[in-house]
Amino acid sequence: MAELLAPTLPGRARMRHSAPAAVSALALIAMIGVCSTLQPGVLSVQGLTLVLSATVPLVIAAQAQMTLMAVGDIDLGIGAFVGLVTVVTATKLSSSPLVGGLVLLGLVAAYALLGLLIHLRRVPSLIATLGASFVWLGLGLFLLPTPGGSTPEWLAAFGAWQPAGFPAPLLPILLVTALVHLLASRGSAGVRMRALGSNPVALGRAGLRPLTSRVIAYATAGGLGVVSGLALASQTGGGDVSSASSYTLMTVAAVILGGGSFSGGVAVPWGAAVGGVTLGLVSVVLSLLDVRSDLQSAVQGGIVLAVLAGRVLVGKVLR
Amino acid sequence: MHVDNLPAPPGTERDRAARPPVVTARGVTKAYGRTRALAGVDLQVRAGEVLGLVGHNGAGKSTLMRVLAGLESCDAGAVLVHGEEAPAGSAAAFGTVRMAYQETSLCPDLTVAENMWISSRHCLPRLGWRRAASTSVRRRLDEVFPGHGVTPRDRVEDLSLAQRQMVEIVRACLVDRLDLLILDEPTESLGPDAARTLYAYVRRLAEAGTAVLLISHRIREVLSAADRVVVLRDGAVTADRAAAGMTEPDVLTLMGAHVAVPSERTGTAHAATGDGTGARVVAELRDARGGGLHGVSLRIAAGEVVGLAGLAGQGQQEVLERLWRPARRDTEVSVTRAYVPGDRQRSGLLPLWNVGDNLVVTAMRGIARRGLRRIADERDVVRHWVERLAVKGGADAGITELSGGNQQKVVVARAFASTAGLVLLDDPFRGVDVHTKTELYRLIREEAAKGRSIVWYSSENAEMAHCDRVHVFRAGRTVAELAGEEISEERIIAVSFAESDEPDVPKEPGESGAPDRAAHGRTHG
Repeated sequence: MAELLAPTLPGRARMRHSAPAAVSALALIAMIGVCSTLQPGVLSVQGLTLVLSATVPLVIAAQAQMTLMAVGDIDLGIGAFVGLVTVVTATKLSSSPLVGGLVLLGLVAAYALLGLLIHLRRVPSLIATLGASFVWLGLGLFLLPTPGGSTPEWLAAFGAWQPAGFPAPLLPILLVTALVHLLASRGSAGVRMRALGSNPVALGRAGLRPLTSRVIAYATAGGLGVVSGLALASQTGGGDVSSASSYTLMTVAAVILGGGSFSGGVAVPWGAAVGGVTLGLVSVVLSLLDVRSDLQSAVQGGIVLAVLAGRVLVGKVLR
Repeated sequence: MHVDNLPAPPGTERDRAARPPVVTARGVTKAYGRTRALAGVDLQVRAGEVLGLVGHNGAGKSTLMRVLAGLESCDAGAVLVHGEEAPAGSAAAFGTVRMAYQETSLCPDLTVAENMWISSRHCLPRLGWRRAASTSVRRRLDEVFPGHGVTPRDRVEDLSLAQRQMVEIVRACLVDRLDLLILDEPTESLGPDAARTLYAYVRRLAEAGTAVLLISHRIREVLSAADRVVVLRDGAVTADRAAAGMTEPDVLTLMGAHVAVPSERTGTAHAATGDGTGARVVAELRDARGGGLHGVSLRIAAGEVVGLAGLAGQGQQEVLERLWRPARRDTEVSVTRAYVPGDRQRSGLLPLWNVGDNLVVTAMRGIARRGLRRIADERDVVRHWVERLAVKGGADAGITELSGGNQQKVVVARAFASTAGLVLLDDPFRGVDVHTKTELYRLIREEAAKGRSIVWYSSENAEMAHCDRVHVFRAGRTVAELAGEEISEERIIAVSFAESDEPDVPKEPGESGAPDRAAHGRTHG
């Protein structure tokens, strides 16, 4: 009996785990289809570049959120953090690259420190990261009270880069996602992080310190947040601390769309990427459909709920 | 019961006694708050022997294992590994001692291979560990449990309970050098074939020089697999015998020759329900199945105290859950209910409220008029209960300032202050001091005399002496129903460990629950 079931069972189980991302991917394909019927130019390299470029920072920020959600935490400060990185990029990094680079490294260290505090003081990550978001916001306003500044040339050049043959935004998306996949899904550091989200008791019994796992996760999230901020600055050409404030909850939605869970334990880099692109494309579709701009948020929310419902439905069918 | 056909342990006692001890416990004591889990344990586990450890709920088995595995430090005494004192938590000293946990220590979201990395990473290469872990876990699973049906890429949460247990045991065995293997209830969720191959593997390990410590409440399995049996009771070793020649009743006698606490049963309450005639039935379970239960029937009359006993996790809490939320058709409850949780910190106390508010929160709705609280009446109720149970600090003290015993008084009083006709107690007196316990036992009897019904799950068998009737559970079934004088610790231990030879004998419906036949205390199955 067991031998007979063995080949079929894991297949079904594995399907169940990738089902949410598959549902999001279907939604993504459907949206690209809608776009291309309304505006045939979308399917060209230039059109895809235009459509995808806005999703690059969001996808990278979603990877940061995914890393923290894998250990069972949640980051309510990622939006403000990405905003702060754009500000640092537009001020310090362009005036003196060394200082700017050090400040960005310091921000990553601050994230690691935040993880350390959350673990040692047993503060819920929800509260600690929400508190930290006001710190990021305050720092950003202190450095650059009004949106402005200018990004370093090399970054602007990257933002304007238009290679022939493939849409440029695909490159950072695939590169970052593949890196996160190597780290979180294949590597031993990822096993430690997911074990912390899945069963911290087992982790401790095996002689691994949960503290280290959490700090690794937060440092990774901080690093990804910096990359996301750089990507955003390369597109906007300046700094604005509140430019990414919508990312905080969008990234959570992206991870959930991609098959992540609030309770932790799973890493879904490809799912989060698909979820992020899907969310980013929703607004493009809505503007192509001429939905009134004051209704766009409501419709966007409705589409997210529909995709989530589809995910739940598929999960039930596969159980 | 599954492995009676194992060959007799080879080797004589004499040459085993000559082998060097792997782990030695010397006068180990350990207390959690007021509860003394271990009271001076001396134990030696020698290389190449299979040592069976038996004992009832709360005897200290799990604490002793955790101390021997180096997971917890002891208050006094010492644990020696290979003759050298080993500090708890030291990976170097306890590196060759491995334990397979009953509740498993696997991460459900991770794959089998990843779980192996977590626990056996020292023995895996830095690069390509995934492949190495996969090969070794597959090879070991094939060796110990042929036909296991597990692949290293499966996530643990997708495996069946038995498969998880297999992976857990193999996880504990996967190490380059294994001196002591501790198995905690390894066969609890395994089928008969898997249990047989496991014990064959255990024998092979022992022949190769590894010591195996086997904890199980399946006495026959322990007797057939172990060379030596150690009986633990009330945190101390009470017997240490060679397994050869011992029988199941011998071990049971060693485990349970304990004097029951004299009952404070009042004659009237008992008389009212003893034979079940005349008393109104307030709640009934008719052959309840599903959700961990396999055909439980019980009937609770007004003014009756019904105990649910047996080893922990055999379906007692599921019965309480059914009575608390009678959603299915096999459960019928005709009165209001109140629930006293065992884990007061997690599900009992409202830590920001004071004693009075904590006490009256359940009764509040009954006291209120048209949705408005009547503060004066509430205060009277609170004063009555605070005085009756002598809660230290009075009604205005913060609940967290109270001692555990007084907190528990408040949680119990909350249930009894309400108008509920049926009070459900979920092992509420664990870790409560004796004085408070005695007061609460008296309260239970007094309230029962007033016509309230009480269903009481307890992991402490001595407490069951305060009940009118006791149902002993095993694997989601009632295996015995004791009444009156028959309720004693020895009896409960005997029936909760007794293994039925025909596990699936269909019972006549309603048999075990019928009060008119209940007074005879038979053993079913």
